[in-house]
Amino acid sequence: MNRQVMGNWMLVLALAVALGLVMQAPALAAAKQELVSAKVKQAPAGLDDAVWKDAKALEVPFEGKEKFAGMKAAVTVRSVYSGDNIYFLFHWKDANKSVTKGAWKYDGQQWAQQKGNEDRISLLFEIDRINNFASKGCTVTCHGAADAPKKEWKFATASAAEKGDLWHWKAARSDPYHYAEDGWLTVAGEKTGRKVDEGKGGDAKNMTDDKSKPKFMRDPAKTASAPGFLLAEEAVEITDYAVFNAGDVITYQMPKKPSGSQADIQAMSRYADGAWTLMLTRKLNTGNADDVAFNAQKKYSFAMALFDDSGDENSYDSEAMTLAFGR
Amino acid sequence: MTGSGKPSGGILEWLAIRNAVEKLGAQRVWSDALSWTRFTGSLALALLVLLCLTGVFMAFNYTPVPGTAYDSVDFAQFSLPFGGLIRGVHHYAWNLLLMVMGLHLARALVVAGYQPPRELTWISGLLIMLFIPVFIITGDLLPWDQKGFWSTQVRTSIMGSVPVAGDWMVRLLQGGPRTGIVALTRFYVLHLLVLPGALLLLVGLHFHFVAHRGVSEPLFSTRERRQVSLFPTMVNRWLLLLLIITVALGAVAYLWPVPLGDPADPTDSNYIPKPEWWVLFLNQLVAIFRGPLMVLGTAVIPGALAAGLMVLPFIDRGPERHPLRRKAMLTVIAAIGLVLLVLSIMGYLEHYGPPPA
Repeated sequence: MNRQVMGNWMLVLALAVALGLVMQAPALAAAKQELVSAKVKQAPAGLDDAVWKDAKALEVPFEGKEKFAGMKAAVTVRSVYSGDNIYFLFHWKDANKSVTKGAWKYDGQQWAQQKGNEDRISLLFEIDRINNFASKGCTVTCHGAADAPKKEWKFATASAAEKGDLWHWKAARSDPYHYAEDGWLTVAGEKTGRKVDEGKGGDAKNMTDDKSKPKFMRDPAKTASAPGFLLAEEAVEITDYAVFNAGDVITYQMPKKPSGSQADIQAMSRYADGAWTLMLTRKLNTGNADDVAFNAQKKYSFAMALFDDSGDENSYDSEAMTLAFGR
Repeated sequence: MTGSGKPSGGILEWLAIRNAVEKLGAQRVWSDALSWTRFTGSLALALLVLLCLTGVFMAFNYTPVPGTAYDSVDFAQFSLPFGGLIRGVHHYAWNLLLMVMGLHLARALVVAGYQPPRELTWISGLLIMLFIPVFIITGDLLPWDQKGFWSTQVRTSIMGSVPVAGDWMVRLLQGGPRTGIVALTRFYVLHLLVLPGALLLLVGLHFHFVAHRGVSEPLFSTRERRQVSLFPTMVNRWLLLLLIITVALGAVAYLWPVPLGDPADPTDSNYIPKPEWWVLFLNQLVAIFRGPLMVLGTAVIPGALAAGLMVLPFIDRGPERHPLRRKAMLTVIAAIGLVLLVLSIMGYLEHYGPPPA
């Protein structure tokens, strides 16, 4: 081979190297936090499955707002996908396991609802592009007059063409059935833009008409499938309040068995050593119009919120992040 | 043609192109015009054709409206069969085109391919090369993603810094001071209609001069040159090259899918676009010359470089072409090339290197 041919092959090699550099550039230019869902052969069977070691952990910082203003939190997130499913593993510190959610307590004389809320974590993805969500996160889903109190602001998208997919794990209301509430977000109606997916689920209030005491108790004939919680499907109306002793506690908001599109997100959780560990599982594409359909070729913007024994406005919020899929 | 209007000598006769086709068939070209030792020009043409074809496919599914533009690109890339592959080939093809054209230029500089009688071949080639970045700049905005939108802001602000005409040029390009729907429409029309038309004209001119002035004789080969027919020999070689590069870029696009960034958010001024590899040296020039000297980096130096290349055939008129006997000229060219390389490396380290401690 003469020198000139050699020289030209060197040029081809130089081009290949340069093209390689070009291919690296977009990855180097990523500015947002990016969670990469690793492709694994074996789906994780649980929270401690060895397969989670294949997934790179992402430390997501959270900023507190309202009663948590000025405070910070952090969640370690991992994700893998295998076959038809995607899996997320969350781990965050929480000094107390909060699952009270206004549960009834009997003091021997009367019933009273206990103070205390529940721990929650939520994720918002885009089903149809939400304007500026990718750069500003959940901020763009808060709508209200500038001078109105935050409580009056509506959680919604700005137009019907924009749709979000809301995953909402609730320690007291969805976890007893081992799932996360599956909802979606659209333009605000009279109150909010939050909608529940097709199917059944959610929770039912356990309260007499005069709101003085619980109306239901666990069916003594059934074995409790979620000890510590009263599930709507295992509840019977209380006919004799004399059977209760001082200190007895009964769930106020009874989880209902999810079905249809509301049962898309399965959950597995553990509270130990002052921290929650949670695994969420969902089909990459549920085929439901009220769910984001994940395509492993694509990147998705998402944001998270963390609730520590708190209600809607009192949360820790993350910035918008990117979910990418490994190959 | 008979009185009945039917062709009397086949379809070529009927189309009145028999003479032209026969003339083309009889055309002989140097065999080394496309060979293992000389292929960058032909490869550049193959890439231009590939860019045109993939661009047409993408245009079928594109909507030039802010916001919706992003959705249409997203849909085409991720929901249509081969949509991602076609966009990927388009992306890698223009990157490769810049490199190949750079090599084409470098080769011509080393072997003095610009010397008479090929001055106009050189100038038309340079004009094509200066044209490609305009394609990239207009095409960058079309997906209406963060990178394209904010890169456009940087470019228009640089353009606006040009004395006297800068502001006017920006308004002409964008249809106003802001990058909105009018700007997107103008970029779209430029990218799909005006620029391809002008490029076609320039490529035609370049080939016209190549055909009439010939390609430069090889300097290093001792083999005797031979001629082959343009059609089918040379055309078949080129088609094979087109096929090879299409398959190669298709494989690259499949293995490393080109990403689609976040949708543009014109209110997100925190987003700082990183310059692409081919503008790193220009970006660095802008970074070096600040304030009132900015025009040096944005217009004077790049303009002088382009002008210097344009007049090169009139300075180095030959007849000596061997690089070892044109040491002074090649030293100047190498020095300029080295400066551009160093600026690019500095730019790379600044924008893609580890953040300062």
